[in-house]
Amino acid sequence: MRVPENFLSYLSAHEDCTERLLGRAKGLVAEDLEVSHDAELVRLRKMVSSVQIEEHRMKAFVRLKSLGPCVLYGYLKPRHRIGAYVCDHFARKNPKLIVVLGNGSESWISLYFDGKILHDRREGIAETLEQLRSNLPCSDEGPDAKSIWRIYIDSQYCPLRKNAAAFRRRMPRRDQDATGLRLVPNKNGVTLDDFFGKD
Amino acid sequence: MVTLEKMAHLAQESRFDSLGPAVSIDPEKLGALGEGTRHDVCASTFSPQSPALPGICHAFAHDGRCVSLFKTLYTNYCGHQCNYCTNATNCSRKTRAFSYTPEELVGITLSLYRSNYIEGLFLSSGSGQSEDCIMEKMVETARILREKHGFNGYIHLKVLPGADRSHIQEAMELADRVSINLEAASASHMNEICATKNYESDILQRQRYIRDLMSKANLPAGQTTQLVVGAGKESDEEIFRRVLYEYQEIGVRRAYYSAFSPQKGTPFANREPQPLWREHRLYQIDWLYRIYRFHPQEIEHAFDENGFLQNSDPKMAIARELMDSPVDPNTASYQELLRVPGIGPRSAQRIVALRQRQPVAGKAELASLGVRIKRAAPFLKINGWRDATLEMWSA
Repeated sequence: MRVPENFLSYLSAHEDCTERLLGRAKGLVAEDLEVSHDAELVRLRKMVSSVQIEEHRMKAFVRLKSLGPCVLYGYLKPRHRIGAYVCDHFARKNPKLIVVLGNGSESWISLYFDGKILHDRREGIAETLEQLRSNLPCSDEGPDAKSIWRIYIDSQYCPLRKNAAAFRRRMPRRDQDATGLRLVPNKNGVTLDDFFGKD
Repeated sequence: MVTLEKMAHLAQESRFDSLGPAVSIDPEKLGALGEGTRHDVCASTFSPQSPALPGICHAFAHDGRCVSLFKTLYTNYCGHQCNYCTNATNCSRKTRAFSYTPEELVGITLSLYRSNYIEGLFLSSGSGQSEDCIMEKMVETARILREKHGFNGYIHLKVLPGADRSHIQEAMELADRVSINLEAASASHMNEICATKNYESDILQRQRYIRDLMSKANLPAGQTTQLVVGAGKESDEEIFRRVLYEYQEIGVRRAYYSAFSPQKGTPFANREPQPLWREHRLYQIDWLYRIYRFHPQEIEHAFDENGFLQNSDPKMAIARELMDSPVDPNTASYQELLRVPGIGPRSAQRIVALRQRQPVAGKAELASLGVRIKRAAPFLKINGWRDATLEMWSA
């Protein structure tokens, strides 16, 4: 079965979720959504799935940079309200490091320390990073993972297996945009240099 | 919610053990040793850490394949004579020999992992001067990652043919998954593709070591294996029979297939490349066996008289041979539903769950449960009614 038991938390994170839809879903169990062909329940199932997919892709596509020895940060602008979940995920993966995700208008901050998650939420990521700079030893110098990755991923390329359709299906442009990735040629020439300029 | 200042204070307390070592990179080495694994197939299925982190596809190569691990060779120097491999001693166009040190590999892995480019490390290697020496270095790499840097990511270590049992045991204590490549379907096919590897003692015996050590080691993702499809001119049926043995006797978690592709300078340079669909169809019958729980005798109906799969859906071929009468989704068992083309495990589960509440009324309902109606309809009878179309014969 695909619909998770805690589907209400996913549903409430959906950008189009309303009080009425939440009220409709509250009396239901996951199996109701899973097997129903009632139009509204099918819609709820799709909404839950949409949030799950975006959360999964954001965890996969966000790239982190280090700001000194204590901070990792990355661009994130999801459609649904999942910024805090994704930030917590990276904090758990990187204990004792502050993880900051965000964009020009909002940012999420998480730290996994002694088995507990600590959160904060602020305005734009540039301001948050500036505050951290003033509190911590910070520098933008860190291992250049991006250039390592480029050399490595080129070494994995098999021309015979080229499959642009599969690439586009599995790395949709919309989700790349939400994490600041630019793997698809961009007509407007926007690059990661515009990182902090995004709103 | 806590203050940013408090988090900054806590993080600063542990700043000296947070990030990995500084990395200096030789781009030529990184590219050459990465290229050595581009035909290796792997997947990070899950991480054994607590709390469990689901496997994540981090990036897709231009061919659509998921690349969620840093796949690399420890060294591309190899003493074997595999006739399809550019690192073999009998290849006339060998690339320059490179080797990492454990510290270099650790630095690169941590750098990519911290930046979320990878889920973990997939470490294979040429045999170097001796398998045991290289295995020692590979194990040391994993040990530094786990013990010195507290690396929680996924580690898949290749066991080199002929490796010592003690090194295999050490690898199993550190890795999430270990594997040794079968490459060929039998000893005679192995002789065809490589004169320096003994199929029984170098490969099968090592797989048995892993199986026997499994009870002592915590190896959450088990052992796997990989075959080069078509290099030894074996049939699909021969491959399937070997893989059955692997699942039933060795207990491999899954098998991977890599279609043979001739490489310049190798003795097999002029052999015909194998079509990628052959690899795909092998994965499909593998899936029918492992996930759909088809009996091997059912799967045999997918092979032609020469033991090869056709470039068409093997499940459809089996259904045409074995499904004499249509199935009613209101009464069929889960296993019977699974045998209908267009119905997978998830849609079969949904059908079973739905009919506990109400009967299945028609095709529209089945479609909303994920059934691919065009494929399934010729094999279904809903409330006594059945599609009479030619799709069953032409799909």
